[in-house]
Amino acid sequence: MKKLLLPILCLLFVAACAGQTTKEIDLSKDTAENADFSSADLARITDGTMNSLSANGFFQQYAAEHAGQKPVMLLAKELKNNTDEHINTRLILEKIRTRLINEGTSQFVDDQAFDSALEQLNLQASDLYDNAKAAKIGKFVGAKYVLRGTISNIRKRSGREDINYMNVTLDIFEVETLLIKWTNEVEFKRVSTKGAMR
Amino acid sequence: MRKACLATIVLLAVGCATYTSRMELSRDLYYDGRYGDALANLDKLVKDAAERDHYLLLLERGKVDLAAGAYDSAIVDLQKAERRFLEIEATVSVADLFKNMLVNPSMGEYQPEPHEKIMISSYLLLAYWLKGDREGAFVERNRLVERLKQYTGGLSDADRAALDVPFAHYLAAVLYEIEGREDDARIEYDALRRIEPDAVPATVDPKRGELIVFAEVGRAPVKVSTEIRGYLQKDGGNLVGFFNLPGSRGPQMFFLPGLGELELDKPGVLFTFAFPQCVRQRRILDRCTLVVDGVEAGELKPLDDLEGTAYAAYEKNLGATLIKAAFRTYIKTAAQTKLGKNDDAKGFAFDVLGKVLSAVDRADTRSWQTLPAEIRVFRMEWGPGERRVLVRYVDERGNVVGTSRAIAVSGERDRKTIVFLI
Repeated sequence: MKKLLLPILCLLFVAACAGQTTKEIDLSKDTAENADFSSADLARITDGTMNSLSANGFFQQYAAEHAGQKPVMLLAKELKNNTDEHINTRLILEKIRTRLINEGTSQFVDDQAFDSALEQLNLQASDLYDNAKAAKIGKFVGAKYVLRGTISNIRKRSGREDINYMNVTLDIFEVETLLIKWTNEVEFKRVSTKGAMR
Repeated sequence: MRKACLATIVLLAVGCATYTSRMELSRDLYYDGRYGDALANLDKLVKDAAERDHYLLLLERGKVDLAAGAYDSAIVDLQKAERRFLEIEATVSVADLFKNMLVNPSMGEYQPEPHEKIMISSYLLLAYWLKGDREGAFVERNRLVERLKQYTGGLSDADRAALDVPFAHYLAAVLYEIEGREDDARIEYDALRRIEPDAVPATVDPKRGELIVFAEVGRAPVKVSTEIRGYLQKDGGNLVGFFNLPGSRGPQMFFLPGLGELELDKPGVLFTFAFPQCVRQRRILDRCTLVVDGVEAGELKPLDDLEGTAYAAYEKNLGATLIKAAFRTYIKTAAQTKLGKNDDAKGFAFDVLGKVLSAVDRADTRSWQTLPAEIRVFRMEWGPGERRVLVRYVDERGNVVGTSRAIAVSGERDRKTIVFLI
């Protein structure tokens, strides 16, 4: 019996080590894995932006001047990426848009829905649809403001050390006047050091 | 029993093909312009490769993909390799260290030379640009500038002349120009001026419509495993080795301090070790001319002597290569002399061990072998419309020895058009 115990334990150990493990990560406790841009930075940028927007009072002032209305805004196609990483910068803008809409401070024009909306309007204007119930053309709302920005970095890699400074600058400008109504930057610097052994 | 051991040793010797010999067919197919066949062969090599060579082979395949116009595949392979090389940069694997020292230096994971790392970013930039992803190309330009700073920033002027990559500076400068960042472009052109002044354009003008042609010429040097024979003798408390190195005048000498207790049964012993000899590849081209719609537009200027850079990097590493070879030689000699002095059975075992180590001793012949020997550049004013361009290769006697593939290039007003020809 004793002779069998060791091989069985070994087999159990091997079985426990085999296979793939998946673990859910709490996004509120998400941390960066290295000096590169990470999902944790998304939350930091969104929080920083939202805090700055409420401190600035842009939306409150707009509501006061326009009888409680919300400003109509448009997202820039993407943040200008001046970093050395391929980042989906649209994600940053969309995360901010989601927070702004959900907090009820502004309305957004969908910049990516134009083609499909136009196609749908053309279709509904055809004889295939009941003209009385079809969506009307000429109801698109133009954006008054555009939310855009730039993400930049300065990196120094030397030996096992990787030092990365990141800066995200966002602004809202008025389409009619090109006046910048709000701007903010979120910046952070991280150093990541690899182990000497691999 | 003895016959079986000897047969095993022979098999080991035959079975351990060097990287250069494994790459030979793919390399020939690639330089013949048979990209499909080269890729089919490289797919097989990548599939069968040990982890230690996997990422180097991805570089080779990425380069062939780039030449074949398969930009997405090139990006995937080059990025995967780049990521891994950054991960292992400046780190040490104990297992690799032992295998390097005891078996042969090609047993560890491949770590590229700095100029090879810079070329990864350069080719990634080109792949993004040529597939029409401007933003992606600008990101790669930023990475390239960072790599240049990291790998060439601390070099002395003499080392910079030998080890810098002028092509990378030029490429970065052109992308800065295209983005309208004249000052940044000038910084890169200034860096280029220090190493290849004739290649610097006369003016920096982002608004000028231009055609910029980069053409790769010749084959990168390759390393081959050469058996070096030498003589080891005791000198007080040290061991001293003598050997002749190809290309060097007179015998070379090395000391193994503190290893004099090794009991040599003769005043000295003969030894052999595998040495990576860097071999320049034959080049018959003398000059290249750009032909636009059948009319010769001008001669391409030399921009980057990558063959010279690869050779300089090789010479810089020569000391470390020889120290490792000396250590392996000591281990083999110890196995065959001191340890082999035991009783008959043990003696035979250690003799076999020594012979096995000799049989598997191969020089590390790995390097990025689909790199060119040289890159040349041509720049001319270019307006809207489509024209066919090709590069004509001419030998020393003025005979046309070949042409690149002809490609249709369309220009836009006030825009720069980049063409990459192999």
